[in-house]
Amino acid sequence: MMNASTAKVEVIAPREPRSPGVKPAGTPLLEMRNIVKRYGAFVALNRMNFHIGENEVVGLLGDNGAGKSTLVKMMSGINPPTSGEIYARGGKVALNCRADSEAAGIETIYQDIALVDSMPITRNIFMGREITNRWGFMKHKAMERTAIEILGSAVQISGIDDPEKEVGFLSGGQKQAVAIARAVHFKRNILLLDEPTSALSVRETEHLLGYVRDLKSEGTSSVLVTHNIYHAFQVCDRFVVMSHGAKVFEARKEDTTIEEVTDHVIRT
Amino acid sequence: MSVSQSAHIHAAIAARNDRSLAAKAIDWIRTRPEGGIAVLFVLVQIACVAGALAFPTSFRYLSEPNIAVLLKSIAPIGIMALGVGVLMIAGEFDLSVGALYSFCAIVAATLSNQWGGDAGAEGASSLAPFGGMLVGLAIGTLAGVIHALVTLRFNIPSFITTLGAMLLWKGATLLYHGAASLRFKPTEPFDTIFDGSLGVVHASIIWFAVFAVIFHFILHHHRIGNHFFAVGGNQKAAVAIGINPTRTKIIAFAIAGFMAALSGIVAGARVGSIQPGGGLGLELVAIAACVIGGHALMGGRGSILGIVLGTCLMFTIQDVLLLLRAPGFYFEMFVGGLIVVAVITNMAIRRKN
Repeated sequence: MMNASTAKVEVIAPREPRSPGVKPAGTPLLEMRNIVKRYGAFVALNRMNFHIGENEVVGLLGDNGAGKSTLVKMMSGINPPTSGEIYARGGKVALNCRADSEAAGIETIYQDIALVDSMPITRNIFMGREITNRWGFMKHKAMERTAIEILGSAVQISGIDDPEKEVGFLSGGQKQAVAIARAVHFKRNILLLDEPTSALSVRETEHLLGYVRDLKSEGTSSVLVTHNIYHAFQVCDRFVVMSHGAKVFEARKEDTTIEEVTDHVIRT
Repeated sequence: MSVSQSAHIHAAIAARNDRSLAAKAIDWIRTRPEGGIAVLFVLVQIACVAGALAFPTSFRYLSEPNIAVLLKSIAPIGIMALGVGVLMIAGEFDLSVGALYSFCAIVAATLSNQWGGDAGAEGASSLAPFGGMLVGLAIGTLAGVIHALVTLRFNIPSFITTLGAMLLWKGATLLYHGAASLRFKPTEPFDTIFDGSLGVVHASIIWFAVFAVIFHFILHHHRIGNHFFAVGGNQKAAVAIGINPTRTKIIAFAIAGFMAALSGIVAGARVGSIQPGGGLGLELVAIAACVIGGHALMGGRGSILGIVLGTCLMFTIQDVLLLLRAPGFYFEMFVGGLIVVAVITNMAIRRKN
């Protein structure tokens, strides 16, 4: 099965992708090698190599349709690759469902925010990870206490004052902030942020970027997917530029300039 | 990351707790899915009680026989609606619960009678009705699981799966038993447990109350209830966060099937005989009760209190119409109107927020 699909890819693949790159230093937290993702005849990811090191913020850049979201969904386990290998701390893993990626220590903030509008904020934060007693009944008080703490400390969320409020009544920025607060609370080794600033105000964006830096100093690595190269330059240690499902440029922050990165995003 | 940033939240919660009782009530009505129907229910009850006090001889709403009949009529649909409502919250439908209601009751009664569970039989067995009931409930639960597996495996709307299942179970009832009614006069203690009374309160309404409380705790306080809301409210989000929608929906379907079987058996025990076609159309009455009680048709919104109030309101109106000697078909006209009015009211309240 696997071999057949790999063979087919070589026929379909439009061209041999260039594979520029920075060699991982030490054992990366997560490494993806030769990842191919096809939807029918469409090649969404073409032999993509990607890694996240310890204590590192990686900026994943590229124009619309470059394959950034496909890659992020793959790392969060809801979009398995057609072929390729994934290693978590050097050990080979399969990311076929959310439980797999959770085991690999990955937490994601999605572009299309993964919140349930008809549920209160607290229930959303603990959705699927409820604090329960041994019979599975929820401890509402404990969840509310934690929710208050999360809402107060994670991101300064403008206008959210009641954790019992239904998410459907929040603004886009507030929803994004709740999603961020949730991911930050359940943070593991790697935080994936898919266009996290798209719905945030300038002040909320500053807070979020500051938070990514804080998390790094506490030992959580992040992948920041964004259109905004200036935001990326504020926090990222390394940049990966994608185009048409492949990596076209990769450089450490100290080895490149904002102009060079911009050039690669626009030109390719 | 200082804790002081939570201060405004604590303040807001304190303010919420300090509201006057009236303000709390108004906020509850505005935010809860069953808020609008609760108001309507209270108003109808006040009107009925006032009417009964003003015209004690012509409008016997508060008479003991009337209350007893009203409570009895609520129970079977209420029990069925609990299962249907939970499934609706998880974002799926079961149109076959009416057919299952008949099928499971017929199977339970036939087996019970065969095993000597009939009160008039020679050497009647006291355990046989319980045995028959267990089989009936198991069939209902299994049918729910099958509906779930077909719906989820082939990724088709549950509306279609259970529309087919409705006809299947209806046919199975006729195949198994034929079209004649079936005597179901179970032995003691089964008869007392399911057909006894405490004053005006029939056993069936006690069972409804017991299951309503159990379901309230499952739906609003247990992890699985939270998963029902999550999967029904936004399945993509639930999957992204790691909830298994297949497992969640199988449980919800199984609950709907179990409750359909239970309501059929409880109703059969009360009436003393079972009509093979007796459950037809009840699925729509149960869905109507849930919708009146504030459930969203697309899932993710609803409550056990809403199901209870929706069922009670429907049958209160039926009862009032009977007391006013209105012809029977008035009932359905009113229920039809009530569904639309209830949904319009709920939407209006939500938009105001």
